[in-house]
Amino acid sequence: MARLLLDPFRDAYMRRALVEILVLCGLAGVVSVYVLLRRLAFVGDALTHTIFPGIAIAFVVGRSLFVGALLAGLASAVLLTAATRIRRIDHDAALGVLVGAFFSLGVVVVSTRTSYTADLTALLFGRILTVDTTEIIETTAIAAAVLTVLTLVHKELVLRSFDPIAAEAMGYRVVLLDLLVNALVALVVVAGVRAVGTVLVIALLVVPGAIARLVGERVGPMLVVSVAAAGLCGYLGLAASYEASLNYGVRLGSGSTVVVALTIAFILTAGAAALLRRRGAGRAAPGAAVTAAP
Amino acid sequence: MRILDQLGSPLIRRALLEAVLVGALCGAVGVHVLLRRLPFFTLALSHATFPGVVLASILGVSVYLGGAVAALGLVLAVAAIGATRRLEASTATGVALAGAFALGVLLQSAQSSATRNLAGFLVGDILTVTVGDLAMTALFGLVVVATLTVFHKELVLSAFDPVAARAAGYATTRLEVLVLACVALTVVTSLRAVGTILSVALLVTPALAARQWTTDIGPAMALGAAFGAAAGLGGIAASAQWDVAGGSAIALAATALLAVAVAVQQARRLVGRQAWRRGPASPEGVPLP
Repeated sequence: MARLLLDPFRDAYMRRALVEILVLCGLAGVVSVYVLLRRLAFVGDALTHTIFPGIAIAFVVGRSLFVGALLAGLASAVLLTAATRIRRIDHDAALGVLVGAFFSLGVVVVSTRTSYTADLTALLFGRILTVDTTEIIETTAIAAAVLTVLTLVHKELVLRSFDPIAAEAMGYRVVLLDLLVNALVALVVVAGVRAVGTVLVIALLVVPGAIARLVGERVGPMLVVSVAAAGLCGYLGLAASYEASLNYGVRLGSGSTVVVALTIAFILTAGAAALLRRRGAGRAAPGAAVTAAP
Repeated sequence: MRILDQLGSPLIRRALLEAVLVGALCGAVGVHVLLRRLPFFTLALSHATFPGVVLASILGVSVYLGGAVAALGLVLAVAAIGATRRLEASTATGVALAGAFALGVLLQSAQSSATRNLAGFLVGDILTVTVGDLAMTALFGLVVVATLTVFHKELVLSAFDPVAARAAGYATTRLEVLVLACVALTVVTSLRAVGTILSVALLVTPALAARQWTTDIGPAMALGAAFGAAAGLGGIAASAQWDVAGGSAIALAATALLAVAVAVQQARRLVGRQAWRRGPASPEGVPLP
């Protein structure tokens, strides 16, 4: 067993991939709890698509993909925040339109190149195994920045999630808080998208928070569970994809194996939670009848 | 216009016909998507058809069949996750979306190199549409439109006032499932034209443009269909003109239509407001509120 878990990381490129995955999982594990609290699953998914044209344009003009993604990410965070505040257009519809428009723009830009489909695939699915030290440093810098900001405004964000009217009454600018959260989600997408692709980023933004929510109700413990679940699945997924590809001849993409690991973890947790609740309900029922809930 | 010179090619004629059919179908169904606030669900549905399509292409069966089975699986998965009650709908949809999409990529990566197909599934490949695909699109489109027409009254009532619909004796859950099935069928139908990711653009944008002009559901569906078909035509023409990907050009054409619709409506509202200010006062000389 230890061989299975340690062997894959003998090579330097696998160690770099592991560091990148773990940094991303730690970051996304934290952010995904806020995504869950604010019901931003659609916004997170939308951002992974709206960042795409930035990467595509940077790619075609030969500039840094990182800068392209960063600019597109911040621009789309502003646009998404603005779109969700138009009263006459339903919030979800506005997001749907933005996703379609931005993503198609990216595809149109990429399709002007001859090596179109291979490029598109690389952009969509990332290539974690070729991640280099510069990329790890960029990811870590983003992670540090996002986590610092979250620590500073944690109280306000939780208040805004649970009671936006109270937050407004207490003088907080809810628009600014929304913009801030969207910008932070965009930064996570920027940090992850080149290395692991859009597919994994969507999963990392939604699934760890959902697992944590199945386990607990308070924000603090949820953060811990979410980060732990993301980190563990990242590690196991990477090891599994290496083993399968090398020793069993089944080529499993590393990013998508991590997502599948996360999904399995979610299903197991949901099953365990349902079992526990049923057993707990069975035992609590007689007592509950006596002490009649207040 | 290069498209006019290319009309002789059966390839382009088939692509145009497919784009118009799919655009009209999506534009009409999209009105129901907006009515029930299903855009995120539609996006999830479109991502979730992906593993089905990949599996079908590996097994060598119809991609439509694979996509439809996968879409059905997603509807069930979202319902199952939502039934745990600890997670609200958008989180449930997000989890199902991520899992299904990753499964598709995993299946694809386990297969021998086929990136060409992968991109085709994701963003569509409208120039390779066959006569069989066209027949399939027309057939599915007829089924969906016929269903929406037959149940029009019930669907609109249950969207606006589910409680009243239930009180009137309609099975609202069944009606909801019926709409979801129609949306799923539409997504599967549009696979060839715009791919899994962009079908959401065609299902939301033309319908939203139509809703800028009318709030009546029936006329909005007709107008949405017209806008969708126009986006299909415009997209293929733009794709021929500048040699860019067809499916994405259709989505961008739809976005341009929406932008025009919103701008015109805003302008009309502004003009209307000024006319109101300048306009005749009420008989007593007291301005109306």
